Amino acid sequence: MEIIDHGSFGNDKTGPESLIDIRNLTFKYFGSKDPVLENVNLQIAQNEIVLIVGHSGSGKSTLLRAINGLIPHQHNGDYSGDVMVDGLSIPRTKMSQIALRVGYVFQNPENQIFMFSVERDIGFGLENLGLPREIIRQRVDWVMDILNIRDLALKAPHELSDGQKQKVAIAGVLVMRPKILILDEPTSLLDPFTASELVQLVLKVREELGMTILIVEHRLDLVAKICDRMIVIDNGHLILDGTPREVLSRADVQSFGVTVPAVVKLAKGLGLSGNDLPLDPEELKARLSFKAVQ
Amino acid sequence: MQWIASGFLFVRGNTPYHRLDPRVRLAVSLCIFTVSLLSQSILFLSALIVLTISIVAVAKIIKRFARSMIFTAAISLIAFVLNFYYSPGSPHQAVVFGVRLFAVISSTSLFFLTTTPDELEQVMKWFRLPPDFIMIFVVAVRFVPVLMLDALQIMDAQRARGLEFDKGSFVKRLRNTIPVLVPLIAVALNRSLDLAEAMDSRAYGAVRNPTSLYKLSFQKRDYVVSLILGVGFAIGIYVTFFVPLI
Amino acid sequence: MISKDMFTVNPEGFSNPVVEFERVDFSHSNGTIALRDINFQIYPSELVAILGTNGAGKSTLVRHINGLLKPTHGKVRVFGEDTSSTTAATLSKRVGIVFQNPNNQLFAQTVSKEIEFALKNFGFGDDLVRERVRWALDSFSLSQYSERSPMELSGGEKKRLCIALVLAWNPDILILDEPTVGQDSEQKENLSLIIRQFLDQKKNVILVTHDVEFIWPLQPRTMLMSGGSIIVDGSSQEVLGNPRVSQSARITVPQLVDFSIRSGWQMPFPVSTEEANARIHGT
Repeated sequence: MEIIDHGSFGNDKTGPESLIDIRNLTFKYFGSKDPVLENVNLQIAQNEIVLIVGHSGSGKSTLLRAINGLIPHQHNGDYSGDVMVDGLSIPRTKMSQIALRVGYVFQNPENQIFMFSVERDIGFGLENLGLPREIIRQRVDWVMDILNIRDLALKAPHELSDGQKQKVAIAGVLVMRPKILILDEPTSLLDPFTASELVQLVLKVREELGMTILIVEHRLDLVAKICDRMIVIDNGHLILDGTPREVLSRADVQSFGVTVPAVVKLAKGLGLSGNDLPLDPEELKARLSFKAVQ
Repeated sequence: MQWIASGFLFVRGNTPYHRLDPRVRLAVSLCIFTVSLLSQSILFLSALIVLTISIVAVAKIIKRFARSMIFTAAISLIAFVLNFYYSPGSPHQAVVFGVRLFAVISSTSLFFLTTTPDELEQVMKWFRLPPDFIMIFVVAVRFVPVLMLDALQIMDAQRARGLEFDKGSFVKRLRNTIPVLVPLIAVALNRSLDLAEAMDSRAYGAVRNPTSLYKLSFQKRDYVVSLILGVGFAIGIYVTFFVPLI
Repeated sequence: MISKDMFTVNPEGFSNPVVEFERVDFSHSNGTIALRDINFQIYPSELVAILGTNGAGKSTLVRHINGLLKPTHGKVRVFGEDTSSTTAATLSKRVGIVFQNPNNQLFAQTVSKEIEFALKNFGFGDDLVRERVRWALDSFSLSQYSERSPMELSGGEKKRLCIALVLAWNPDILILDEPTVGQDSEQKENLSLIIRQFLDQKKNVILVTHDVEFIWPLQPRTMLMSGGSIIVDGSSQEVLGNPRVSQSARITVPQLVDFSIRSGWQMPFPVSTEEANARIHGT
């Protein structure tokens, strides 16, 4: 595991082109006193599922926006460093081009559904790209099948539950067939059951479409197990980068605003750590039984 | 208040009139509208109103139509009274004025009550209105009910801080709107910022003329109705200009 | 089968309930039924958690406690008074709700004025207002912002401000609507502390939430709602400790409970990791 203090080291996974390559990214919002991101170096390979955590206001969402281009294209400020996604330099590429590669699902689904019917809204991005009707129809149907929301096709947004709205928001992004899917606190408005259904859905999508997924999420009990990698941002700096088990094993992880799941806390208290660290009750029980047998 | 919000939340009708192409429905209303503007005959204008109401009946929206017409009837009455007051020598003109207003507004209502925002947007697109303008319309219709519900939430939150909306002098009640308006504006702004981000992230503006999943196309019934409408409109114009009626 | 009352009501023997729901039904103006036959009493110093999916009726129910909503049938009594005979603004003096979204209420020019707003509405005298504002600012580390606009605060600070301004008027019942959504670990710790401090004063706290991990260590009286009814009302151990019960209301099982069941432990299950640790070591 790399421990990056103040971004002085790079996590050099740049083998054959990383899908996302961020070097020395520093950004300060226009009118702000301090930079919200400082010297961030990060490389993400294809097909990784990366969990991004940290205090509220630590810069997580800013980092995500730097990847999909909203920074710098929509938000003004002082921008230095390089962000390359799929070979394209983000500051030098138009949002519409980036949208083909990076899909961003925001926190509040209500503010992402514009049109009056679900299927129309899902096709919104493709309409914007000027694709012919037949292709739009095909893709929209395909996405609705994958997410199992065909029955919602003609419903109006106000007729949907929160969980359904979130699925529609994801559909509207997936329909563009991006290589990277960004989920910014996708479950914060959902109850735990619906939230875990959503997480399973995301996993399924990843399996079937081979996407890279970046997810900001506080509820580690839902996502820690499915993520390949966990990144902690603190005060604009990339502080920790490793597998979820490695990062959660650290004694100081809670000080960075990470809510350590109860069972993980328990496991640490029992001296388990590293690759050995159980992430849910099932794993802990199995681990302890194994220990007992020894 | 829920009722008002649901007024914007259209119900898709399923009558033969609803199944017509929205452009045809627009043409129907426009024709009645135009002839009403030109006619000087109380009799003819009343006939047009009866025509409109019969279409309303076919479309099974009498109740909703009646609700909006109460307001219109009041306005027409006021128009008649004012007109008569300022030119007492021509009662005929005054009546024509009032009835005309009613006819014009009801024909417009007929269109808007039978057309979903979806269809309106399609029609606007077909007329090649600028995409930004259409988007403004779409977002407005989509989010006005949302903002109304936000306003209700805000009122509840301020009630829970001791704010009484139904008490006090007129001035006090006016001041009491500030704790509702300020958060409402903040919420609206936040929503629009979120929207802007989502729109950009989904390639809005990539292409000058976005395509559409849906397409308006004429069916047989649309051609038939258009033909009837064409003939009717011609007759209407003829009657208006060449047939003297009271 | 699921039994509705699974614990001893009013163990400390208080004579009068603080909140009483008697055969309460509630329907929205468009006809949808949001609450069905709600019956329960809450006694002083109870911590109550109301759990359930979105749409189960939790928020609708608590809005009856401060009079924002009035029942369609049945009676709601708060401190003995029928809520139908008074206004929300009056009831709110004793029943404070902290809503989920701070942006729905912040409007004043300064943080101080924001806190003053409710105090003035409730008729506090000028000296008392000053004192309470100062108390709120200090207790919630907001003094540095007293003359700044509330809009300048970060999300977490706004949430803190919303709690501060409610506690400023010192209600007898504190209701928190989804207080842990989007909060990081530090903010949640502070919240637990605030709740415990409030309970120490023999007052009531009612939590509307679906964050079972947050409430498990607090061991509140737990009501599960589903489809507008209360399907279970009992101690945390009995309600959350019983997966069949909680899953019927689509509530996840707390991790410590899950682990305890897998380990074959008997109730009461450990409420903290320290307790669980001790139990594993057989102490």
